[in-house]
Amino acid sequence: MTRFIERHPAWALILLIAVAVMLWLILAVWPPGLEEAIGRKRVFLNAVFNGITLGSLYFLVASGFTLIFGLMRNVNLAHGSLYLFGGYIGYAISVWTGSWVLGFIVAFIGVALVGVVLQIVVFRRMEGQDLRQTMVTIGLSIVFADLMLWVFGGDFYQIQTPNWLVGPIELPLVTALKSSGEAVYLRYPMVRLVIFVAAVVIGIAMWLALNRTRVGMMVRAGVDDRDMLAATGVPIQLVFVVVFALGAGLAGIAGVVGGTFQSISPGEDTRFLLASLVVVIVGGMGSIPGAALGAVIIGLAEQLGSVYIPTYAIVVTFLIMVLVLALRPQGLLARR
Amino acid sequence: MDSAAPRFSAVGSGAALELRGVTRLFGALAALTDVTITVRPGERRAVLGSNGAGKTTLFNCVTGDFPPSSGTIRFFGEDITHFPPYERIRRGLRRTYQISALFPGLTVRDNVYLACRGVSRGRFSPLRPGANDALMHAAEALIQAVHLTPVREQLVAELAHGQQRQLEIALALAGAPRFILFDEPAAGLSPTERRELIEILTSLPAHIGYIIIEHDMDVALRVVESVTMMHNGRIFKEGLPHEIEADPEVQELYLGAGHE
Amino acid sequence: MSLVQGAHRETSPPAGARANLLAWPEFNQPAVWVVAAILLIMPFIASGFFLIEIFATTLILGTIALSLMFLAGYGGMVSLMQLTVAGFAAYMVAVFGMSANTNISLGWPWWLATPMALVLATIFGTLGGTLAVRTEGIYTIMITLAIGAAFYYFTNQNWAIFGGHTGINTIATPKFWGVDWRSDVPYYYVTLGVAAFCYFAVQYVSRAPFGLALQGVRDNPRRMAALGFNVNAHRVAAYAFASFIAALGGVLQVWNYRQISPGSVSVGACIDILIIAVVGGITRPIGPFIGAFIFVILRTFALDLLVKFGLDGNRFRLLIGLGFLAIVFWSSDGVIGLWERWRRRAADTHTRPSGGHGHG
Repeated sequence: MTRFIERHPAWALILLIAVAVMLWLILAVWPPGLEEAIGRKRVFLNAVFNGITLGSLYFLVASGFTLIFGLMRNVNLAHGSLYLFGGYIGYAISVWTGSWVLGFIVAFIGVALVGVVLQIVVFRRMEGQDLRQTMVTIGLSIVFADLMLWVFGGDFYQIQTPNWLVGPIELPLVTALKSSGEAVYLRYPMVRLVIFVAAVVIGIAMWLALNRTRVGMMVRAGVDDRDMLAATGVPIQLVFVVVFALGAGLAGIAGVVGGTFQSISPGEDTRFLLASLVVVIVGGMGSIPGAALGAVIIGLAEQLGSVYIPTYAIVVTFLIMVLVLALRPQGLLARR
Repeated sequence: MDSAAPRFSAVGSGAALELRGVTRLFGALAALTDVTITVRPGERRAVLGSNGAGKTTLFNCVTGDFPPSSGTIRFFGEDITHFPPYERIRRGLRRTYQISALFPGLTVRDNVYLACRGVSRGRFSPLRPGANDALMHAAEALIQAVHLTPVREQLVAELAHGQQRQLEIALALAGAPRFILFDEPAAGLSPTERRELIEILTSLPAHIGYIIIEHDMDVALRVVESVTMMHNGRIFKEGLPHEIEADPEVQELYLGAGHE
Repeated sequence: MSLVQGAHRETSPPAGARANLLAWPEFNQPAVWVVAAILLIMPFIASGFFLIEIFATTLILGTIALSLMFLAGYGGMVSLMQLTVAGFAAYMVAVFGMSANTNISLGWPWWLATPMALVLATIFGTLGGTLAVRTEGIYTIMITLAIGAAFYYFTNQNWAIFGGHTGINTIATPKFWGVDWRSDVPYYYVTLGVAAFCYFAVQYVSRAPFGLALQGVRDNPRRMAALGFNVNAHRVAAYAFASFIAALGGVLQVWNYRQISPGSVSVGACIDILIIAVVGGITRPIGPFIGAFIFVILRTFALDLLVKFGLDGNRFRLLIGLGFLAIVFWSSDGVIGLWERWRRRAADTHTRPSGGHGHG
């Protein structure tokens, strides 16, 4: 952090101002002039919260993607299929057992198993041939998409939010003042907040696992220098399988989240694959904090964009990617 | 051959290559520390030093493969510190690589032709070379100079190690070189091939200077007039070949280690 | 070593040495002439359906995939946005030319709208390439895929220029010299002409300094810089060249369907182009056309075929995906590679007895 400020004082200042403005916009009671200029604060706050919670969903998908890429140089273009598969599993389990939480667990395990099979049966045979692996993942994504279409059809499925999470919760953020001077507080869906907190917890757990455990150290060493990891006599194939399982499992969990937030249907696989791509390009390949930062940026850009400049929302996301590629092609938080 | 020289008339010292305080960091590790070297036009110099002394990093800084972290590099008076590699090459700088860096999927002639094309106009030409293409003739001449004419139609991947080393040299001689950096050109060569290499080096036109990294003292001291000794990323000693060879510190540091 | 002794005897290169640089080795094979002849007399063999739905479509998809083959095979850059460039050209034909969407189309005559579309699409593809060359290798796939997807979502959202998710319909096609160039036979010849032009252009450039240097960049970019080449400029130029080819394919495509909508530039369609190029083989310009032919045949007849085997006719994508996986697993160079391996093996078994004599 201090090194960044020393090296790029101008950028640090701009960032600081941007964060301060954002915080002020969120916390302060908007003066009437501002409301006239850009609309009501409630709309803005909702967009920000939607952006951040969507970002947490993107993070769940992209962190698995970036983990697999970082360690194995495998651009898993079937990652979206794993997401969608997780969503379908979660839907089936929650309908069958009525338990939302069980849906998460089974989706994680089921998709992680698919990941294990993929790593052992397919990718292990073509280690180091990243282009060929990528081609295979493209083929797999096509096959998976069609198999899922075969089984589940083209319908939209929405996973039922459990009763204890239904309904909004009042947050201590003032959206407006009534004429009587009474403050109106923001009401926001409980389930989205819970999932946001869960994503943060998962993110921190991953960071801790990578930085504080032996296996995590191995994985990180492997991200930096794979040959060195192999040379140290670590059972590298086992590490690969574990990482692939974890990355795939995260995509599975994300599928259940996505099915609860929005819905799952054919085509969502591509959408979330692309979201992961953009998030990872922006945040930095192979970096978990990068995935978190990228996910929040892209989530916010998408939601704020769709509120304030609806026909060009996608352009905003794209411009962010272009800007990052132009200024820092390795991504915002990549170490390289 | 030296028709290109007047275009870049030397400003200042008149040195071919001049490094001032060049430092290169890799993270916290300093591969080069405060290296200052001056080489006259036409001068031939050897750089000695054990593995990790910073010899190849020195070359990488001069050619721009890795730009220096600090310090300046002048080439015939012009400050090239911040030039991209190709701009340096177009000004008459050349190099060979320690591990052959060739184009295995192309034929020998295409490799040399590319080298000739890289330092002339028409790099983007979409027109195939004609029967009397001057660069194609230049390429043929170079191939002959390094004795590769019989295999010129072969893919580089099919060549023997010695032939690949010779091709490396041919690529560095393309166009109108003014200064060449040879990175261990004799590595892995048979005694016959070494003799050929020495012959090629000694028969270069007098105005072409070079720096050669070479572990084999027999080769190195026969083709140079001055020696720079590096150690731990710094210049350790500079002098004439026999001075360096006789220097007790150098013997202890390098020659002793080299003969173990 | 033998090379040293032989070197001094040969002072000048034999005439044959330069032949493969100057001539067209393809023309030495009779098979090429046969294929060319068949393609030329195709309208007398095939009916309208086959002529357009099979052969013209193959040539169009092959041309677009050819642009990917040029980038991937010679430049080592696997770009997934080639269909996007083609689609952009198609949209531009619709925007500048005439269509039923009079609020969008500017109504220019085709001979103005088409060059405009080609130029703009080439610029579009070049800018995308400029972005993609900021990184290398596997990242190219990710960035170009993101560009393709962004364009797809943008065409969906934007109504002012791209007509939203319904797209632009009833686009006018050229009519001059008393010929309706969209009627089957003239259109087939236009397509054949453009595809042949692109094929030979790629073949020709691959042996010219530009193409040769591109292959050098593919094999060893760092060494190319150390030979005096501006590697990134070369890559961007390759994108420009490939974009022009893709744009030509896009113009043909929009003339064929006479409408363009986001569905034509979807991510799935972008990936189809990759599949076509890889299945055919990305090391030679003929590969994409072979791949396109297989793809079109499968797409057209898979339904009947699958039903005949008692399967669901909708499983075309599954078939494509499995076929693609099989090719990627067993051949690094598509069906061309498979065919050559088979031929070599056949040749080996054929010559082995006599070969033994020669060495003995």
